[in-house]
This record gives sequence, structure tokens and C-alpha cells, in this order.
Amino acid sequence: MKNSLKVERAIKNITQEELAREIGVTRQAINSIELGKYVPSTVLALKLSEFFGKPVNELFSLEEGD
Amino acid sequence: MKTKLLLPNQFKKVGWIILIPSTLLGLYVIISDNTFDFLNVRVFTIYNKSFLFDSSETVRFGFIGHNLTNTVAGVLFIVGAMFVAFSREKSEDEFIAKIRLESLLWATYINYAILLFCFLFFYEYEFLYVMIFNMFTILIIFIIRFYYMLHRAKKSLSHEKQS
Repeated sequence: MKNSLKVERAIKNITQEELAREIGVTRQAINSIELGKYVPSTVLALKLSEFFGKPVNELFSLEEGD
Repeated sequence: MKTKLLLPNQFKKVGWIILIPSTLLGLYVIISDNTFDFLNVRVFTIYNKSFLFDSSETVRFGFIGHNLTNTVAGVLFIVGAMFVAFSREKSEDEFIAKIRLESLLWATYINYAILLFCFLFFYEYEFLYVMIFNMFTILIIFIIRFYYMLHRAKKSLSHEKQS
């Protein structure tokens, strides 16, 4: 699964740390999602979508093999 | 995220304080085969059939004389290791929870892989040692794996310095 978290974060100009604090997760979680190592739960995906004001499938998209 | 079934974070420190000396005590007891005389006490037992003497006196729900050195080392180790393994991290979230569950699965696999190997290659009295160690390996492997993965997650942060 791909995600555009890093791009969205750059647009909003906030750090991983700040985003993590806003959403209520560890910075490790945000980092792992950005690196594609961790697929967040629906709850976390919805929180991110709410924070960035974009639908979930603009933040996350399926890749071949998913 | 609310994480159920975990001890409060403060238990982790207490756990380490119990775990380290009890590990040393356990290793000392196994290697030296020594016991501490002041731990010779009468203890309650559910069932005990003495195989050391021909008298083979059987005790059901009664008291026997026994040295508790192994018991103390074992109980303290389990309590310490459980505290270390299953208390909350300072900050908990679903990512940490995932690492925890994966480590537990991993520890179970490795534990039984080792046991399977030992089943096939150790016999008689030596197998008794295998059983003694195997009582604790699942916790040990879990703790090593869980903290290693947490460490790795933290390390990959410093590589990914703030953009």
C-alpha cells in the first residue's frame, strides 16, 4: 500500500513529531507508515484523513499485489 | 489507544530490578548446584511422592521438608520477566501493540523450534536441563525480540531526520 503522508506533511509543514502528537500515536508509528513498513488501522487512517482534511483514499492507495 | 491486558508502565522498572538478580541467582544455582541452607523449610504440597528414598512416602495436601532455593529463583524470575515483558510502554499505540504481538508469535515459534531440536538430541538427565531452561525461554526470547524491534523503530527515526 502506498501513501502520500510525507507529501501531505510537507504541504502542511509539520514534523513527524507534531503529527504524531496531534493524532495521538508515537513518532515511530508515523515514521513506519511513511516508510511503508506499517499499515495503519482504519481508526488511525480516519484520524489522519480528518487531520489533513482529505478522504482516506487520497492519502492511501492500493498497490499491485495488495 | 487504550491497551488492555497490560501492567502499568512503572512495573517495567520493578521488573528489571527483580529479573536481573534472579537471573544471576538461577544461573548460580544451576552451575554450582549449590543451595542455601536457610531456605530449608517445610512447605505445603498438593502431591509429593519421594523418589529419593525407597520408603516412597506419598504426601497429598500435606507438608514436606524441602529446600526452596530453586523455587525462589524460579518464582522471582517469572515475576520479574512478566513485569518486564507485559507492562505498558511510556507511550502506547497500535504500532507498539503490533510489534508486541508479532514478537510474541515469534517467541512462540522459536521456543518450540528449540524444544523440538532438544527433544531429538537430548536424552535422560540432560533432557531435564532442557525442560528447566524451556520453562523460561519463551519469556526471554519475547523480551529480546520486543526490545530489539522497539530499538530498531527508534533507530530508523534518527536516520529519517525531520524534513
